[in-house]
Amino acid sequence: MNRRSRGSSSSSSSGSVGGASDSYRRRSDVPRNRSNDNTKGGDSADVSFIVGTCSSMCPERERVTRERLRDLSVFERLHGNPTKSSSDLAVKKFCRTLSAADVQASDVRPLSVLEETLSYLLSLLDSREHPFEVVHDFIFDRTRSIRQDLSIQNLASEGVIHLYEEIVKFHVISRQRLQGCSGTSISSMHHLNMEQLAKTLTTLYNIYDANRKPDYIYENEAEFRSLYVLLHLNTSSGVMGEPLSLWFRKLTSNLIKSKEMCFVRKLLRSYRNGNYRSFLRTTASEATYLQYCISEPHIREMRSFAVECINNVCYKLQPYPLLRLSHNLMMKEMDVESLCHECGLEIRTDSDGSIVLPTKQTNFCRPKEGFRNYDLIGIEVERLL
Amino acid sequence: MAYVSMGEAHRRITEYLNRFCDAVSYQDSSMLCRLLSFSSNSPSLLSLADALNVFQDASSLIRQSDKFSEYSEILAHLFRSLQSYRVGNLVEAYLAFEKFANAFVQEFRNWESAWALEALYVVCYEVRILAEKADKELTSNGKSPEKLKAAGSLLMKVFGVLAGKGPKRVGALYVTCQLFKTYFKLGTVNLCRSVIRSIETARIFDFEEFPRRDKVTYMYYTGRLEVFNENFPAADTKLSYALQHCNPKRERNIRMILKYLIPVKLSLGVIPKDELLQKYNLHEYMNVVQALRKGDLRLLRHALQEHEDRFLRSGVYLVLEKLELQVYQRLMKKIYIIQKLSDPARAHQLKLEVIAKALRWLEIDMDLDEVECIMTILIYKNLVKGYLAHKSKVVVLSKQDPFPKLNGKPVGS
Repeated sequence: MNRRSRGSSSSSSSGSVGGASDSYRRRSDVPRNRSNDNTKGGDSADVSFIVGTCSSMCPERERVTRERLRDLSVFERLHGNPTKSSSDLAVKKFCRTLSAADVQASDVRPLSVLEETLSYLLSLLDSREHPFEVVHDFIFDRTRSIRQDLSIQNLASEGVIHLYEEIVKFHVISRQRLQGCSGTSISSMHHLNMEQLAKTLTTLYNIYDANRKPDYIYENEAEFRSLYVLLHLNTSSGVMGEPLSLWFRKLTSNLIKSKEMCFVRKLLRSYRNGNYRSFLRTTASEATYLQYCISEPHIREMRSFAVECINNVCYKLQPYPLLRLSHNLMMKEMDVESLCHECGLEIRTDSDGSIVLPTKQTNFCRPKEGFRNYDLIGIEVERLL
Repeated sequence: MAYVSMGEAHRRITEYLNRFCDAVSYQDSSMLCRLLSFSSNSPSLLSLADALNVFQDASSLIRQSDKFSEYSEILAHLFRSLQSYRVGNLVEAYLAFEKFANAFVQEFRNWESAWALEALYVVCYEVRILAEKADKELTSNGKSPEKLKAAGSLLMKVFGVLAGKGPKRVGALYVTCQLFKTYFKLGTVNLCRSVIRSIETARIFDFEEFPRRDKVTYMYYTGRLEVFNENFPAADTKLSYALQHCNPKRERNIRMILKYLIPVKLSLGVIPKDELLQKYNLHEYMNVVQALRKGDLRLLRHALQEHEDRFLRSGVYLVLEKLELQVYQRLMKKIYIIQKLSDPARAHQLKLEVIAKALRWLEIDMDLDEVECIMTILIYKNLVKGYLAHKSKVVVLSKQDPFPKLNGKPVGS
């Protein structure tokens, strides 16, 4: 049997992900945006929306076509056959729809099917058979299709909140796990992942707002709202969305006073004042797993800022012991060594055998984007899991 | 509603129609303003509305005379809007007013001179106010408010009519300000950007030629936008302009400007006098200012907590929170001054232990590691001049100017 892959947008293995498939995705962002707007709770009474009747994860019509075109992801092939799938394996692809009028009810999955589809997709996250970027690529595309089906049907009630929450979670966890992947297309995958994370969060917030009951916060709402703050700690980070001072104006007092929001506001204060000590300690003792995933780049940033400060302000005749630095930055001593190198700084062994950072070195440089992550010592692993 | 006879109704409507047509043909802008100003709730407009509701078929009156029928579209929508407005049906009133406004703008476009600019202002103002009222009605009926957004599109269209060159351009800034008010209310302030670009890049028109009132409003809103983006020097320039040029008798406006200008000035190291805060009833800033003067970190945190909601809603909370580093600077200076009194020779050595003790007096518990961290940042950001001798846990201050002033520049710039 011919097992040659034709390198379609999502069936490619780790080596050939990227290039064409990425630009394909970027083009398709435009209609997605528009359908996102539909969920903002406009006057839905006078427009009728399609009600899906497709009872499997992938409409039969699409499955047959993709079998014929050999457009099957590795997860969709029956016994590895690139031309054969089944209703248990095939999942509807994200597709740029030309207009909502062209969509047929039989191509759209109702809520219950979408729920099943999502939990099937997320179960693949534990798969160790394929590299994470391959798993990510598949789930990335198929969850996007789930959101598309939701917005085509204008499903924006309380009942869909958990679907969006799960999809946000997927993107957040991907943000962290993609860091550990290697490959030429990782940085563009990361970029697209952040883009869809921002979009899904926006929709999720709109749905919370549209279903707002007085003095009521949805179970996970505060945590998911807190992610916005973490994504916008750095005003120049270029993540889309409005500045935080505008964003805070719209939050209800309940949310502002929630435990999760108090936590991220404390982080925000530490971050903006440059208080690396408090930032790292607070993160280690209070962050949830999702919050930690989003904070990772900031943790890196605060650490290199700390190294920059110490190098800059310490008395030249008193080199700074790495052991103390490792304690203050909550990282392994070995990792501090590596961090100093990344910052362009030299370290040496002192006369008493301890490793030190000579200060007032002139060639400090900010480590490049995407450099290594170091563990945050003291973070309670049980809380994260 | 007082009883109005058919004859009386006829008389009132004809009178209005005559006035309208006269105002247009004699280019009497102030008369036209009075005839269009719904929200003034003037007795003559109210009695006209009552007459319209009695007479019902006003359009036949408009059609009867050539003089009136020239403006039939404008007038018919205007009447319908006024009728709905009078009986409290605000959504209907808005919809009709929007149609009227479109017809009016069309007419305005054809008038060569800018004589009717004031009347156009009234139309722009009324359309926004009416939209806000209509949205309130929609919300209370459980529907989604969308009229203000529609008013925004209409105002944008009016802006397009004025923004070209020619004598009408002088009106563009008024419409811009109405757009700002709309976008701020809607929470879509990013839409302001394109209008601002159009105003600020226009070479054919000098900003100073716009009416003073509009310039002040414009600077107030663009200054606030700079606050949101944390661009403090620019915010300072714009808000200060607004303050210098606004009518000194309008205390409420001055207060609105100061509400943003004070946090901006504070972040640039400029502290206002207490009298200013008292005069304009800005008590929420009293303790923030005190905290900066005294180096009292606890007071700053309390003040922020006490007015948290207010500061968050107005969008200055994050600006004020950033003052923390300046408060630390002040505290260090105080310690230094006290040390100088007791032991001038060693005053320039600040022990981390002493700083931690001072913070404990303020009921702020901080270990030496964090004190070290704070001192590192203060030195790094040039709020303190000196160096850290970490072995001896001492900050050695520079003999010259150990606590540099910000001099109108943000911290760390």
